[in-house]
Amino acid sequence: MTAGCGAVPGDAAFNRLALKIHAAQRASNPVLRRYWDAVSDRRPTAWHEIPPVPVRAFRDMPIITGTAEVVFRTSGTTGGGAGGGTGGGARRGEHHVASLKLYRAAARGSYRRHLFAGAPALRLISLVPNPALVPDSSLATMAGFIARESEVTDTVWAFDPARGVDVGAVREAITAADPVVATGPVTRASHPAPPTASTPPVLLLTTAFALVQLLDALAQSPLRLPHGSRIMETGGFKGRAAEVGRATLYQRVHRALGVPESHIVNEYGMTEMLSQAYDGVAGQGPPPGERVHRFPPWVRTRALDPADLSPLPAERPGLLAHCDLANAASVCHLLTEDYGSVTADCGVRLLGRAPGAAVRGCSLAAEAFLRVTGGQ
Amino acid sequence: MREKGAPRETDAPRETDAWVLPPGIPAPAAFERLRAGHLPIRHPTRDALDPAGLVSALRAARRGLAAIPTAEMVRILGGAAETLTRELGRADLLDIAANGRLSAAMARAVVGGMVPAWTTAAIDRLVRAEFPDPRVLDGFIADMDARGDAGTGAAPGRHVRAAGPAVTMHLGAGSVPGVTVTSMIRVLLVRSAVLVKPGAGDIALTVRFARLLHRADPRLARAVAVQYWPGGSRAWDGWERGLLRAADQVVVYGGDATIEAVRARAAATTRLVEHPNRIGVAIVDARTAPGPADADAAPRDAAVPGSDSLARRARAAARAAALFEQRGCVSTHLVLLRGGRTAARHFCAELAAGLEAIEAELPPDPPTPAELSALHQFRGRMAMKGAALWPDAPGGWSVVLAPADAFEPTGGRTVRVVPVDSLATCREVLAPMSPVLQTIGLAGIDPDRAARLAEDLFAIGATRIVPLDQVPFPAADWLHDGARPLRELVRWGELR
Repeated sequence: MTAGCGAVPGDAAFNRLALKIHAAQRASNPVLRRYWDAVSDRRPTAWHEIPPVPVRAFRDMPIITGTAEVVFRTSGTTGGGAGGGTGGGARRGEHHVASLKLYRAAARGSYRRHLFAGAPALRLISLVPNPALVPDSSLATMAGFIARESEVTDTVWAFDPARGVDVGAVREAITAADPVVATGPVTRASHPAPPTASTPPVLLLTTAFALVQLLDALAQSPLRLPHGSRIMETGGFKGRAAEVGRATLYQRVHRALGVPESHIVNEYGMTEMLSQAYDGVAGQGPPPGERVHRFPPWVRTRALDPADLSPLPAERPGLLAHCDLANAASVCHLLTEDYGSVTADCGVRLLGRAPGAAVRGCSLAAEAFLRVTGGQ
Repeated sequence: MREKGAPRETDAPRETDAWVLPPGIPAPAAFERLRAGHLPIRHPTRDALDPAGLVSALRAARRGLAAIPTAEMVRILGGAAETLTRELGRADLLDIAANGRLSAAMARAVVGGMVPAWTTAAIDRLVRAEFPDPRVLDGFIADMDARGDAGTGAAPGRHVRAAGPAVTMHLGAGSVPGVTVTSMIRVLLVRSAVLVKPGAGDIALTVRFARLLHRADPRLARAVAVQYWPGGSRAWDGWERGLLRAADQVVVYGGDATIEAVRARAAATTRLVEHPNRIGVAIVDARTAPGPADADAAPRDAAVPGSDSLARRARAAARAAALFEQRGCVSTHLVLLRGGRTAARHFCAELAAGLEAIEAELPPDPPTPAELSALHQFRGRMAMKGAALWPDAPGGWSVVLAPADAFEPTGGRTVRVVPVDSLATCREVLAPMSPVLQTIGLAGIDPDRAARLAEDLFAIGATRIVPLDQVPFPAADWLHDGARPLRELVRWGELR
């Protein structure tokens, strides 16, 4: 059973496509075939019967049908062994992507809808690195796609992987555009500043980590981004306790940059998936505690019982499994390590990593073991 | 251990004060509360306790400690440990279990297995193994080596003396109950006052032992302090740094990050005794076991005299993996099995049966969603690699039959079985793990071959090579991580 949310328009077409892609992947990829044969003796008749592939498998071997145009690598080294330790932690996951064009097509509709939201012109300030510096970053590559959109008048890349946030570049980019508006005090009354023709709004792309760095640097001398500016932040600040963190973060953003929380959108994505989810449309974002992430229609998500991976009803938290048809050249159905629930209308409520990190002793964890042995 | 009625796993653990302070140190007035495993604890806030004052009080206690003759110290420590085991009741065990996220049965097994190394007789054996004339810990004595006993060539007439420094700080590993008690006994035997930060999962047992030491002798009461704080937390960094700079010696158990952090902050003059995390391995010879022929392998060797069955060897491996929930530095994660495919499958099935039986006898703490998530990821990855897995569905243990490549310790009672052609191959397989090897359990290998194999294993870093069934509980005098457990804690003086 699918559990989770109810029927969705397009389910039949989604199902047909998912099974067709599954059959193709099964026929052409012996590693996937071996896996599916090992874990199930049933031929799937619906997308949710296709056994999901654990995302950590992307750390062990290339999963691709055909030839990779680009290989994206995960940045994290955290993880969990069978005991909740750090199994596979020292290796980076690799998503072998057959077509950048397909990645762009999968990402574009969602970022345009949620971030551009009809803005005729935007200045891009990116605290996500320039893809030229990190061509194996899927996030940086997406930032590159965004920079090429016709509405983007100019782009400032203000993050260096080695040095972090270039606060000077951010400050210069904002004050150069409109020195009067940019350096005035930020108060609820003063924001939003009156729009002017000379100050197109800014789209700030950032990880939560880089955003905190920027806010720390601006603590004593806040800036004001032009009216209509919006922020896409990604990574971190998930979970109930973290929602408090996110609410606090958004308040800090308002104080330091003059961007209200309604204009801050969280993006949920992962290297192993070509599609992303967003928790609001820029300018219309609800308060952080009420937000729900939504994927494009070619993705389905279920929350699975951690004990046996059986599907859970709506609003019951479990391990998230996504079926992303854009992953046609790798593998569509993924079992993630993320925890969350699916709402009755098929939104995804993210709660962060599954709770209850493993208890540690003096036995060596996988991450340290792999560091010592060089991954064997 | 005395049992006061059958433990009820549902009993709620009691809030535990995670400190024991010498008399004269004011009782803390402000606390922080947290859960250590399932055990609610409270510990003093940073400003409720003065680290410099604490170390200074312990330093002052050194004189009284030094006045206790070795024989008496052995009796006091052994007596306290024996009292601990005698008085440990159901509620105590439940607290220890909750603290370490163990089932009550596993907590009983772990503490019960460690107790023999804490008895007066065992401690006496430890002291004599380390110092053939234990009076060297009491004052200058004629150097036995100088008299030619060990042929060191030292000048005759020399007198020598050994003692730990005034204050030793112990930083404990995560969640293996008993590790800290063992460390405290060693430190006190060399007459060093001890300031203990137990691992988060080893608080309950440590504070009980420390209280008994306080009760046993006022000189020890002044020389023993226990204080838990959240290690690695930025808020406590200054506090921890102050202690690390004030202590004369630091014994640290932990992962690379913990040890590197201690190295970076301790004073240059502070002696560091490091016990990093380790990995346990077993080597089992299936070809010496009575049982079905292995059609795909070389002919069977002659059975080792008095040899046990493959099933029995598998059960020993299961126990070596499951005890301590595979969190001990001695815990077995990898079995190198000499034999062909048939023997390997047979062994894996027996190992699976052994782990299943232990699961019934010593159940694990219910897994958290994070642990279950990790298990699904692990099993899925193994299935993608073509490994054979027991059981069919995820459970409280796993056996994985696969080649050695991409082995990694995963915990959660997971044992990787790797078939090898010969015992000589073991060295090749284990060589990359050299820096982290410690205990290797052997089964089905006759003494002559075991001796030759031990040379190979020692050469690549193994420091404890023992029969597989002895893996879980080292003797009191074991050469812990390749060092002599008391000698590594002392400094020597000579008098000519």
